[in-house]
Amino acid sequence: MPALPHNAASDPTLGAAGRAAERAAIRERLAQLCRHGQWNRSAQALGSGYASLDERLPGGGWPIGAITELLSDTPGIGELGLLLPALLQLARDGRYIAWIAPPYLPYAPALAQRQLPLERMLVIRAPGTQEAQWAAEQALRCPAIGAVLGWCAHILDRSVRRLQLAAEAGGSLGILHRPAQAASTPSPAALRLRLRPAAAGLVLDIHKARGGRAGLTLHLRDTDAVVMHSSARAGA
Amino acid sequence: MLWSCIRLPALVREALAASEREAIERLAAWAYQWSSLVAYRLSDGTHNDAPAPPGAAAVASTGGNPAGGLASGGDNDGGDRADEPLLWLELGASNALFGGHAALLARIRAELTRLGYSHRCALAPSPTAAALLARAPATAERCVFTRSQLRTQLARLPLTLLEQPPQILAALQAAGLRRIGEVLALPAAALARRFGPQCCAYLARLTGDASDPLTAWRLPLQYRARCEFDQDVHDTTALLFPLQRLLQEFQGYLRGRDVSVQNFTLELEHHGAADHSAAHHETGATGRSTPLARSTSLPIGLSAPGRDAARFLLLARERLQGVALAAPIRALQLSAEHFTAPAIEQADLFGGEAQQLGELTQLLDRLHARLGEQSVQSYRCHADHRPERAWRTVPPGPAAAQPPQPPTLATRAVRPAALLPAPRRIAPPRQILSGPERIESGWWDGAEALRDYYVVRAEDGARQWVFRDLSDGGWYLQGLWV
Repeated sequence: MPALPHNAASDPTLGAAGRAAERAAIRERLAQLCRHGQWNRSAQALGSGYASLDERLPGGGWPIGAITELLSDTPGIGELGLLLPALLQLARDGRYIAWIAPPYLPYAPALAQRQLPLERMLVIRAPGTQEAQWAAEQALRCPAIGAVLGWCAHILDRSVRRLQLAAEAGGSLGILHRPAQAASTPSPAALRLRLRPAAAGLVLDIHKARGGRAGLTLHLRDTDAVVMHSSARAGA
Repeated sequence: MLWSCIRLPALVREALAASEREAIERLAAWAYQWSSLVAYRLSDGTHNDAPAPPGAAAVASTGGNPAGGLASGGDNDGGDRADEPLLWLELGASNALFGGHAALLARIRAELTRLGYSHRCALAPSPTAAALLARAPATAERCVFTRSQLRTQLARLPLTLLEQPPQILAALQAAGLRRIGEVLALPAAALARRFGPQCCAYLARLTGDASDPLTAWRLPLQYRARCEFDQDVHDTTALLFPLQRLLQEFQGYLRGRDVSVQNFTLELEHHGAADHSAAHHETGATGRSTPLARSTSLPIGLSAPGRDAARFLLLARERLQGVALAAPIRALQLSAEHFTAPAIEQADLFGGEAQQLGELTQLLDRLHARLGEQSVQSYRCHADHRPERAWRTVPPGPAAAQPPQPPTLATRAVRPAALLPAPRRIAPPRQILSGPERIESGWWDGAEALRDYYVVRAEDGARQWVFRDLSDGGWYLQGLWV
């Protein structure tokens, strides 16, 4: 447990502004501690493989047993690449990765090139949104599944909450791809990231991070990912 | 030997069965998991070793009460009265396995209560005595383990409990006797002279002095259980309760035989055998009709054999949700024909690989039951240079674990992780990041590809995999760097 600054608020050497800042810092830390106490289970995290991102995420990575929303309107900006090191880790631990109604065909030769074991991938096709959400919930609840990747153009707040509960029950990583406009509505997801394309890599806005700080922006370069891929390969 | 006798006063009504024999055979099959020696007696005195009456099937299918036609033929014991249906289990051999007789009996009773059967159980060294004790008043001790305990216990009980013709009981009472102990104290020869040898033989069997043979009921090799409803059922959710019970009983049968099942069938029999003109098929290919009553047949398959009723119920529920009922349901039947050796779930020393496999199998079963057999797939690489043909679908799960294929088409060019279902025609790209990579293949199978592939950046910032078709000069989008 991090030590609270001792008697900082009453330190006579600080000015009024300094004291206010100290107090704010203490309050934030207390709030963080309380939140961590409350969300003990979901405080577990899986390293994302990107050091600069892990630093900024509560728990130091993707929240396990929770839903993470990736908000973007542009497919093809490296959104899967962002998840890849974590998916590799899960697959290497012998867990399965469920793709619920992906809008594209997960391309086997490319996944194999990225060292993802194909037999650990389950692609689930569902005829409608409702069936897809049901399938996602089932997959999230299954302990054999390490991560569930879902795509939802329209999903109700209530449904996200259901998925969040399912993820908590199954202890899996739930990833929901949603359109950028969903950022304007609140969501029970533990982590919400807004993804934007950049000249080299990807820009992430941390829109919401339960138990951490939101409002940070971060630029992940392709080169960061490349480093990760090669190290993953070395580990495999 | 130690016999447990279970009296089932409201069996037919509670089992929703068409006949008493059907109902008790369902329970006998269920009870097989506790004991390998199970016998029953119907309320008309017919034992399980009596041949099934020739008209039983017809009687059962029309829902009538078969008891009337059997009243005379069943009295093979000479002394038995019409009574409640009885189920006997020999528990002497089950002592060690289930943690003692008392614990086992408590477990059986708890399960019976859970299944919704009212019952009275007793335990005695002879089946006749167990049947008698099961009728004893609630204040009496119903479990005795030795013959001396049995004699003491019997001595206290009123002689009206004896399963003897009423005229014999009346004569005994007229002679001033009240308790069974007083009857047992009479000299056997005198009793035999006065009331006939059968009465004496009964008493000897009761106390265990004479052997008390019961023919063991043979477990059928195919399972069939049926519930018939008093009222028409219009909603499949209303089937869940009887279904749960059928599956619980089925689980007992599977445990008793020590087998697992991979496929079983639920048959929903519809009301209205008369309206033959209506469409026979309820659910397309799975609908099946019989001449008497239309029925919907729902085959339920598991990806791996199992015998867990809760798992069966989950699958059946998913399956039932997708059924649109054209007619109300009159009866529900569960049947299974093929059984396999049980998959033994052993404790895994290194990690829970087996457990994980089980969990995955259950997930796949649920998905298959609701979304269809083809809904879950895995992919593998296929040796073809054309990207749209460089993959194949394979069934998911551990069955898909094949020996890794040699990378016959090793390419250093990195491929995009997302492929469009079909190439889409686009305007010529503005910003080319890399390329071209020529792919020229397939002239031999009629799907010739002659293409130059480029990695481009689209206006919205996405990285795309596009190709220029050299045969028509057009640009096509085929993949995305997700």
